[in-house]
Amino acid sequence: MPTSIRRGSLPYLLIAIPAAFLLVCFVIPNAVLLSMGFIESDDTVPTGVLTLDNFSTLFHSALYVGAILRSFEVGIGAGVIVVLLAYPLAYFLVRTTSRWKTLLIAASLTPLLASVIVRTYGWWVILNREGAVNGLLSWLGVIDRPLALLPSTAAITIGLAHALLPYGVLTIMASLNGLNPNLERAAMSLGASRTRSFVAVTLPLSAPGIAGGFLLTFAIAISAYATPAILGGPGTQVMATVIRRFMLELLDWSLGSAMGVVLLVASLILLAATSAVSARRTTA
Amino acid sequence: MQLTRRRALLGALAAPVVIPALAADTLVVNGYGGEYQDIIMKTTIEPFEKKFGVKVTYDNTGTAAENYAKIRAGRGAPGFDVAAELTPPEIILGNREALLERITEAEVPNLQYVWQTSRSLIPVNGVVHTYQYTALLWNKKHLDKPDSWTDYWAPGPKYGDKIKGHLIAFDPGNLLSIYALIMAAKLKGGSDENIDPAWDVLKAQKPWVGVSVTTSAAAAPYFENDQVWLAPYWSARAGYYAAANYPVDFCIPKEGTIGLGNCAAVPVGASNKKLAFEFINFRLDRDVQRAFNLAYHSSPGRPDITDWPADFIANQITTEAKMAAVDFPDSAMIGRKRSAWTRRWEEIMG
Repeated sequence: MPTSIRRGSLPYLLIAIPAAFLLVCFVIPNAVLLSMGFIESDDTVPTGVLTLDNFSTLFHSALYVGAILRSFEVGIGAGVIVVLLAYPLAYFLVRTTSRWKTLLIAASLTPLLASVIVRTYGWWVILNREGAVNGLLSWLGVIDRPLALLPSTAAITIGLAHALLPYGVLTIMASLNGLNPNLERAAMSLGASRTRSFVAVTLPLSAPGIAGGFLLTFAIAISAYATPAILGGPGTQVMATVIRRFMLELLDWSLGSAMGVVLLVASLILLAATSAVSARRTTA
Repeated sequence: MQLTRRRALLGALAAPVVIPALAADTLVVNGYGGEYQDIIMKTTIEPFEKKFGVKVTYDNTGTAAENYAKIRAGRGAPGFDVAAELTPPEIILGNREALLERITEAEVPNLQYVWQTSRSLIPVNGVVHTYQYTALLWNKKHLDKPDSWTDYWAPGPKYGDKIKGHLIAFDPGNLLSIYALIMAAKLKGGSDENIDPAWDVLKAQKPWVGVSVTTSAAAAPYFENDQVWLAPYWSARAGYYAAANYPVDFCIPKEGTIGLGNCAAVPVGASNKKLAFEFINFRLDRDVQRAFNLAYHSSPGRPDITDWPADFIANQITTEAKMAAVDFPDSAMIGRKRSAWTRRWEEIMG
């Protein structure tokens, strides 16, 4: 009897350990920090008085509303670019019979091997006024004066898309690997062209992978700090850089936490909406 | 010797006893990195270790505000014993939030020698160990010496279009930015407390600015690669770069300057407070002050050192008369308004 109890409770015990870890190290500290967003501060010193003024301050500032919108622009932009680039790459990697397949998969994951700082400074070298892009365009005679490519929202989006491409490739590959190739063959045997069988069969069936790749990229991009900090500037702030400024430079934890709450809630809403759309498509 | 289970268990049980015993002779000091770290290691930390027979672990992460954020997040136990580089606004916050220890002559006897200014600048929860001031730094290859803060805030009349894109702007995350804004306000009839006139000056200057950064260290590569020709800058780093053969020099404009007291403090949860106070006392020692300030081009924390070289005296605050000529705005007021000023700055420069 005791043995059966132990056996029955084993799965719960196994779940309890990571759950306790998450609760102590993630949920509680984040809840404490985010609760500061609802607390009034007297010249940056929290008072303990409950208020919604911090949110009012954020939403009445064009600068911070701009940072919130820009975060979504960057998250959605990076997600779309990653899906567009990752899908053909993942499709090729799944379907190829080359003996180099393993090496090719490893090569597609190389952005993960470089540190985010090194990777992002690589883009800085390419995009700055004296960088490779301006050098090439100038050499081709396309431009007379260097283009101001940095700091910009586009640069942040490109930098993040590059960094997050492997997540898209892996997610879409997992989805494509799960497809039965006979379905495509069956479509073609019934007269569909290769393109039509891809559009009508493969693409819809791999939609969960596309949605997963987009969601993963979006979730990481919207809260990324290092890339926006390096490739952006005062005019291209995103929520993460604003939060850092409030928390660590101005020591205004109430406003920083309020922005954290906005980031969390906005991300959850968009993730829920995207998941719902994806689930409906999959069911259909 | 074989590592048996019993020995391993005994070792594990003994660890909590042995580690604090070692920790008692170890001090964790938090300060800046880069050239500052090299200088403080050589002039202060190594002699301190030798004199007291202790080990100092140097933590070079974070700016003054970031390190205060660690103190606040750790409720006074940030993992270091001495915050060696805070500024007056953080000491004032530490006093209000009761997160920094009180420091009197009982703990730090050398406090009796500090400037009178140091006693009024901050509450008793910190010590001003060195001073700097807000200078104008310029590139000697491209520009003549600036005379006035107007040459930075409205550079067109003096330097013409050639300086467009070669100004740097610091955002108010750095006190340097706030001090420069106060000087801009004063040019237009404002004051330490009323910097409203500075916002129009900032708007007019914006088209001339090529680079915006927060930290002084982040600005250094732009001086080095010739992208920035004119900037407000802390006198110590400016002096260091001028002496290191960068093509730059620095000056105090005719309207005057604003001083910065560099402070040290002990968080209330520091694990080795006795040694922390000893370190701060050592930092104020005459010989240590002399060695550090000569190397870092900062001004001393005490006025009774008189045998400075002539070129040091020319650029540093070494006498009561010179100290009296430096303006020190109310840091408590800056602390209160900094967040709002930063939002205003971002709205203009964003």
